[in-house]
Amino acid sequence: MENPFQETLIQKNRAEPCSVVIFGATGDLTHRKLIPALYNIAACGDLPPQFKVVGFARREKSDDVFRSELETANKKHSRQAHTQELWSGFSQSIHYHQSEFQDVEGYKALGRLLDQFDVERGTTANRLFYLASAPEFFKPILEHLKAAGLHVPPQGKWARVVCEKPFGKDLATARGLNEAVANTFAEKDTYRIDHYLGKETAQNIMVLRFANSIFEPNWNSRYIDHIQITCAENLGMEGGRGGYYDTAGALRDMVQNHLFQLLSLVAMEPPTDLSADAVRDEKVKVIRSLRPLIGPNAVGQNVIRAQYTTGSVDGVARPGYRQEDRVNPESQTEAYVALRLFVDTWRWQGVPFYIRVGKQLPKKATEISVHFKRPPQVPFATSKLIDNSENTLVIRIQPDEGMALRILCKQPGQALSMQPVKMDFRYSSSFGKASPEAYERLLLDAMAGDATLFARRDEVENAWKFIDEIQAAWHKSDTPPPMCEYPAGSWGPKEADQLLAQNGHEWRLL
Amino acid sequence: MPFPALSENDLARLGMEVPLARVDKSLAELWENDSAKTRASLINFAIYTESASDLSRNMELLEAITAEHACRALLILNLPDAPAPNARAFINALCRPYQGQQVVCSEQVAFILEQATPQAVQNIVFAHLDSDLPLIVLWQGTLTRNFDERLYSHIDTLIVDSSLWQNPAIELSALTTALESETADFDVRDLSWTRSHFLRTSLATCFQDARALEHLPAITQIEITHASEHRMAALLLGAWIAQRLGGTPSSNLTFPRANGPSIQFTLTSVSTGPSLQKLHLTGPNVQIQISRHSDSRFVQVCTSCPNHKTQEIYPADVETDAELIGEQLSRAGGRTLYSSLIPQLRELLK
Repeated sequence: MENPFQETLIQKNRAEPCSVVIFGATGDLTHRKLIPALYNIAACGDLPPQFKVVGFARREKSDDVFRSELETANKKHSRQAHTQELWSGFSQSIHYHQSEFQDVEGYKALGRLLDQFDVERGTTANRLFYLASAPEFFKPILEHLKAAGLHVPPQGKWARVVCEKPFGKDLATARGLNEAVANTFAEKDTYRIDHYLGKETAQNIMVLRFANSIFEPNWNSRYIDHIQITCAENLGMEGGRGGYYDTAGALRDMVQNHLFQLLSLVAMEPPTDLSADAVRDEKVKVIRSLRPLIGPNAVGQNVIRAQYTTGSVDGVARPGYRQEDRVNPESQTEAYVALRLFVDTWRWQGVPFYIRVGKQLPKKATEISVHFKRPPQVPFATSKLIDNSENTLVIRIQPDEGMALRILCKQPGQALSMQPVKMDFRYSSSFGKASPEAYERLLLDAMAGDATLFARRDEVENAWKFIDEIQAAWHKSDTPPPMCEYPAGSWGPKEADQLLAQNGHEWRLL
Repeated sequence: MPFPALSENDLARLGMEVPLARVDKSLAELWENDSAKTRASLINFAIYTESASDLSRNMELLEAITAEHACRALLILNLPDAPAPNARAFINALCRPYQGQQVVCSEQVAFILEQATPQAVQNIVFAHLDSDLPLIVLWQGTLTRNFDERLYSHIDTLIVDSSLWQNPAIELSALTTALESETADFDVRDLSWTRSHFLRTSLATCFQDARALEHLPAITQIEITHASEHRMAALLLGAWIAQRLGGTPSSNLTFPRANGPSIQFTLTSVSTGPSLQKLHLTGPNVQIQISRHSDSRFVQVCTSCPNHKTQEIYPADVETDAELIGEQLSRAGGRTLYSSLIPQLRELLK
């Protein structure tokens, strides 16, 4: 029998009754993102009935202390106002479970706790395990979940796992982790999170491309000259992040996951439908179609890596990368990387995709810019044309989410001179209401069983396969491409500018 | 005496008076000298009213709506009983802060029309729409007078509030006629229906659990407690629940079912408090109670059936006109459930 009132629920994904277990529950992610996201889901009335959250972590603390800490964090980080009336009910669904990640008894006790919740509910519930711990614990957590039998869902229910980034640090570790996941959960029950995919603007890329008839016919090598994807950060290694970052670098930390996801959405073919696998089938084809960069020559010609030296951002002096807290003074880790990529498909033959990501750049901004080819200009051959006059479509991912289209117009006056003008759409000015946070959408989707906005195993492994070749050229070659430098507060090394200049292009000034 | 019911203060709040022929030009001039202001518009949102005393309230309503929904806002006050035809226009910018230094503004055009026929309303008002954007009209007047085909054939979404109708059966009849017209292609939203949106969502969520769901066919009573002025919201909610349970609405508030016992529908009216305050579904072995306290933004939902007892809280429905309209503007278009409920509602109102 179907719920006859369900028609009122069909506008968005509905979460099924479940318990969510967060591993690494005392960490920053839980406090800043996960609990506020769950609270906001509750405030919107989208949390399933008899919902439970269990924080699993090593430190000793009571439910009350845990709830109190989360309340403080929620007041600070929640998108919607923290109200005592909602929190008092919501917080009663939160529990703390103390255990070492490698103690099988702790998992058995967790199983008893979940069973106890089921007894209180009077029925068995679905289970969502969220791996928010340090990545080195992912594998032991999965193994112990299996050893304790928690990976097997109760009859007629589901058990799913959400894996936070980083998902491996190279192909070998990603495969190892995927094997560990596959030994414990089916792929359909595995949700590899990439919070960029939860952002409204990232989701809007498919709508923009496939729901507007003016863009898709021009979305190919015949009309598009090149595409740039930029992720600029104006921060360095503040707050002790140098410890992790120096082991990862910009390529692993940002390109393999977030920026390749954006690249996939921009370059993919239209999916046959909007099911999770139809969308992900098309996305993975993009990654598999990337022209491989093998060996130091190919890498050196197409990838620029760099570290920042002392400089200033917003008038504040900043240290060089190697002088940062918890960074090896002789570090060979890149804080900036720029890539020239080619997607070898019929649609994108010969179109360069430039990606750049870096720390201590002048501003924080993530955007995609699609640069269209210039028209023949025959009718305007004698008119004055300014430089960089191509039509450009800019998709701003964050901040100031929105889109802008640059077109040429005739400047008023007797002479025929042209001037670029910008048509600008901003989410926040057009839609006054705040969008849900990426984690709200992604958590709700995981509870509802919609994996469209999560990375699939083959996406992750193909991305690592590509990245590994660059890492090998940098770190295992006898003639590695150089580590370039740029002053903090600049837009990156001059070598990155030269990379584009070779094709007659230049980076968009953000 | 051109506007007997309007004070100078009211007129001043409408903005700058401009000749009808210069409305668009004057709007353009609003933006020319102020680079800090950004004009934004996604829809044409019009309020049509025939009540001069609501002018101030409608100004506040537009301010609240434009804070979240960038639009060209049109306020149309038509005074059909005025002694002679006349038309005046006022323009204004409704602005909100955006990223510190800038402000985002919606344009507002107010028309005060005297003795305007539907054709005059159409000519004056529809000449000042932001082109290519959908037209959403909040119709506060009676549908039986100026709600004419020449008007509704231009409307994309019509918002009404049936709680304000003095004779709902007649208004629904006019609405049905309009919906069935060959030239009309508008979607209709009733704020009385919106008043139960979250309550319906809470009810649906109760029956996501299979143990509650199996007792659903046994429900034989629907009781709704509502504020006295919101009987229409309660009727709509009851009609929807009964329809979903397989019942056929009838004016004696008993809904016979083809396969099972009839459903008894009871309405209790109270003088104060939120529009919908309690929904109680009962049957042998099953009870669902959704209740809301006056000062709460949440509803308490209690489910009780064999082996299954829960108590949860969910968001309560919004109450103010601005919030209710905001709810509607936040949703995608398309034919709503409401349209399908109109025949049942008309049956109940017989």
